[in-house]
Amino acid sequence: MLKLNPQTLKKFRRFREIKRGYYSFLILAGLLLTVSIGELLVNNRALVVSYEDSWYFPIYTEFHPGTDFGLDYHYETNYRELQAAFSKQESDNFVIMPLVPYSPYENHAPTGIYKPEPPDLALKHYLGTDTTSRDILARLFYGTRIALLFSIAFMVWVYLIGITIGCAMGYFGGMFDLVFQRLIEIWSNVPFLYMVIIVFSVIPSTFSIPIRIAVLLTVMVLFSWTGMTYYMRTETYKEKARDYTAAAKIIGASHTRIIFHHILPNVISTLVTFMPFTIVAAISSITALDFLGFGLPPPTPSLGELLKQGTANLRTAPWIVTSAFVTLVLLLTLVTFIGEAVRESFDPKKFTVYK
Amino acid sequence: MKIWTTIVWGAVYTLLASCGGSESSDTTEEMITRDNTQEVLDYYAAKPDFFTFKTIADLPDNLSWQNGSELPDIGSPDAIKGGVQYSSLQDFPRTMRLVGPDSNGSFRPYLQDYITMQLAHRHPDKFNFYPGLAESWAVDKDSKTVYVRLNPAARWSDGEPVTTDDFTFMFFFMQSSYIVAPWYNNWFGTQYTNITKFDDHTFSVSIPEAKPDMDYMVLQMLPVPEHFYKALGEDFVDRYQWKFQPTTGAYVVKDEDVKKGTAIALTRQEDWWAKDQKFWRNRYNVDRIQFNVIRDIPKVFEAFKRGDIDQLGLNLAEYWYDKLPNDDPDVANGYIYKSVFYNQRPRPTYSLAINTAKPILDNKDIRVGINYATNWQLVIDKFFRGDYERMKTSSDGYGDFSHPTLTSRPFDIELAQTHFAAAGFKERGPDGILVNEAGERLSFTLSTGYQSLKDIPTILKQEALKAGLEFRIEMLDGTAGWKKVQEKQHDIHFAALNVSLELYPRFWESYHSDNAYDVPYLADGSVNPDRKIKVQTNNLESMAVPEMDAMIDAYRASDNRAEMMKLAHDMTQLHHDHASFIPAFYQPFYRLGHWRWIRYPEGFNHKHSSSAGHFFVHWIDQSVKEETLAARKSGESFGPEINVYDQFK
Repeated sequence: MLKLNPQTLKKFRRFREIKRGYYSFLILAGLLLTVSIGELLVNNRALVVSYEDSWYFPIYTEFHPGTDFGLDYHYETNYRELQAAFSKQESDNFVIMPLVPYSPYENHAPTGIYKPEPPDLALKHYLGTDTTSRDILARLFYGTRIALLFSIAFMVWVYLIGITIGCAMGYFGGMFDLVFQRLIEIWSNVPFLYMVIIVFSVIPSTFSIPIRIAVLLTVMVLFSWTGMTYYMRTETYKEKARDYTAAAKIIGASHTRIIFHHILPNVISTLVTFMPFTIVAAISSITALDFLGFGLPPPTPSLGELLKQGTANLRTAPWIVTSAFVTLVLLLTLVTFIGEAVRESFDPKKFTVYK
Repeated sequence: MKIWTTIVWGAVYTLLASCGGSESSDTTEEMITRDNTQEVLDYYAAKPDFFTFKTIADLPDNLSWQNGSELPDIGSPDAIKGGVQYSSLQDFPRTMRLVGPDSNGSFRPYLQDYITMQLAHRHPDKFNFYPGLAESWAVDKDSKTVYVRLNPAARWSDGEPVTTDDFTFMFFFMQSSYIVAPWYNNWFGTQYTNITKFDDHTFSVSIPEAKPDMDYMVLQMLPVPEHFYKALGEDFVDRYQWKFQPTTGAYVVKDEDVKKGTAIALTRQEDWWAKDQKFWRNRYNVDRIQFNVIRDIPKVFEAFKRGDIDQLGLNLAEYWYDKLPNDDPDVANGYIYKSVFYNQRPRPTYSLAINTAKPILDNKDIRVGINYATNWQLVIDKFFRGDYERMKTSSDGYGDFSHPTLTSRPFDIELAQTHFAAAGFKERGPDGILVNEAGERLSFTLSTGYQSLKDIPTILKQEALKAGLEFRIEMLDGTAGWKKVQEKQHDIHFAALNVSLELYPRFWESYHSDNAYDVPYLADGSVNPDRKIKVQTNNLESMAVPEMDAMIDAYRASDNRAEMMKLAHDMTQLHHDHASFIPAFYQPFYRLGHWRWIRYPEGFNHKHSSSAGHFFVHWIDQSVKEETLAARKSGESFGPEINVYDQFK
């Protein structure tokens, strides 16, 4: 059983007291939960199909060709049409579709022309369609999911590398610190966005989309970890000079033990306060890259791509830019609120008044 | 001459790659001066069969000279000279050179193709030749020679007269390795056999075969100013990078108008030598054409709507119907005219080029299957809203030389699956994509450099899934896309080659094995197992079929129209069966929006025009401009002007 020390518990209590941040946290957690089961909510595959006394749950299984349901084609069943067909027949067959019965990739043009259509409740295009008649809610939903997962993965990696190197620099000091700091100074002067654009433009397209996303993540991490090392280095220096570290040393604790049991737990509060802002930065950069056309490969749904479409069709289809913009603002605001609350609750000077 | 191999930069809207920022003025200017007069003379002397020098007395006297004077004039006598036209570029030209690396860009029409004068030009309505630099010409079929008399009045824009020497020098120039232009080296090294100078304004050019259009082969030639290239040498690419070559045409680029990375302008020569010549007098009316670089298409449109740009192509349905609808106030009040013009000319080959050098794609059944799994009709119906037509073959629009009956393969899931199954792709994997027994998925990269048509691959991808085929989409910027396909790194690429107004299609460039591999076959005719792909050619399909090669060679050597026609049909059929080319669509018209002060002749334009600006028949009416701007302020309406010119439909 995890035993938290009273200091930490106190910090959690304070976090809960800061309502704005706390509720933002709850909303975001709920959002994460929702998007992680997104296939059940936004999908063009049916939740349940009952056909000739057999039950099918196509969402998480292999694809079902139309022939499985008595249709005359071998490609993926169009469940919306199947639903309509079943409801016309006088039989026990039925289809239950998710709330938003569209995938983020399919072109669904009720008018027969690929163009942006305004929101339409009857067609279940709750936020309208984009320039090739894809459902905006579906694209927004999955785009948000990718952005969130991407930025969380980004944060984890940046912290792993940043903490390791920063901690090592602070702890060992001397030549190691000197050399590494110079390297970091040089490395951090490489313009991040350009490097991402250059590296990503030479990745061969034979890689599958998940691999290309992973490469993008790697490149972004490679050029982003340096910022973290400065904080870690100074914090470690500070803690290293404290008496308890000296005491641990004297009684013969190993480096590993000192770092993991004494120094890290004491500097973690500094790190935690940065986390939400790292996520904000990651979401912003991935969106910016997508907007510029250098981010996630098409047709991956993404906020940046929607924003780009939106700005290109500002006059004729304002609903595209509105939904993408509102989503982005909400997302970034939520994370920022959480960040502020975390920072405040970890601040030991509770009653400091700035004048 | 027009190089037909220019890639079509996605109709009027395409994004080209971003280019470097502004550079300080010509830093490559070096002090070394060179004079190649002697080198050129030595070159002529070393090739006496090619460069012949005779006197005017040697000119045969039984020639029948023509001068095209019976043809109707071009443009409108109502045209007014003057005014400044504002236009936009998506990318700043990478060089001002007309040949060599990077010269084949989207600005070159304004430096050369639409501007400079050939010896004679195809009439945009009648197809026959009207005179440019030539005063008259005579074709001698028997000796495979075309005789030319230059117009003595012809001048370069720097005042130097145009003489026979500029044509002999042209051969030296185009055959030299200094210009780093293999296509030109090949063309001018193999397609012409002799130039004979009779005097400063009379010469003849011979070609290897008396092709049905042999007059075109010679009359399309453009002189190269000998006096300007005195310093031609190994450093040609750098030395002439930003130098404007004197032109025989109406527009020049002044040094002070080249603002690298941001703007460039064409200025009309007040004393242009041809300004009163028939066929030329009513054209090139605008005093100055200002091109500003605007990279973003939606911004270009906004600039047009503000009146900062005078006219804009609206070929995409999205712009024609949605962004500038007929009930837009500016259109409804007649401030902006919308015009559709149906033209007739060979169509750019919008298509998917399948690289047959890649594994799996070297299987013909796979390629046929991909043909059937590609739903272009849906793209035409739903994306282009039915305005475009499906292209049938790679050589549509050449009249009798186009195949009379062949059509492209329709979207047919069953047939696609049959062909995929024949190639071993029988089962569908868990994601619905076909797999073969080795477990390979039927998945290919579909790349393109057409940013403005970026929605098309996503539509094709969704449809191909139905046949169990996956397209991985790779969206590149224009230059990177073209580079990829020139390096033959693509699986399947969506692009188009531009074509010029010619009598019959060309096959060698795109379908001959010489342009696919370094050594395609061994001496015994079998496939060379170690052959290497040849890059930087237009054989985008890496097509190497011995029968095709034989027919192409016969076609190039033929001087018989009927035989060539038969060969063209057979080659088109073979190419169709080879299935490495998926014909996409063509646009039977062009359409644009233009502010009211941009005036066009009655009937709008000429039959064979490729775009509204192609022949520069428009003009700016300054008084109309003031009137329109005033009316726009006060809200006065002129009534909408939405015109369809379908006289050549």
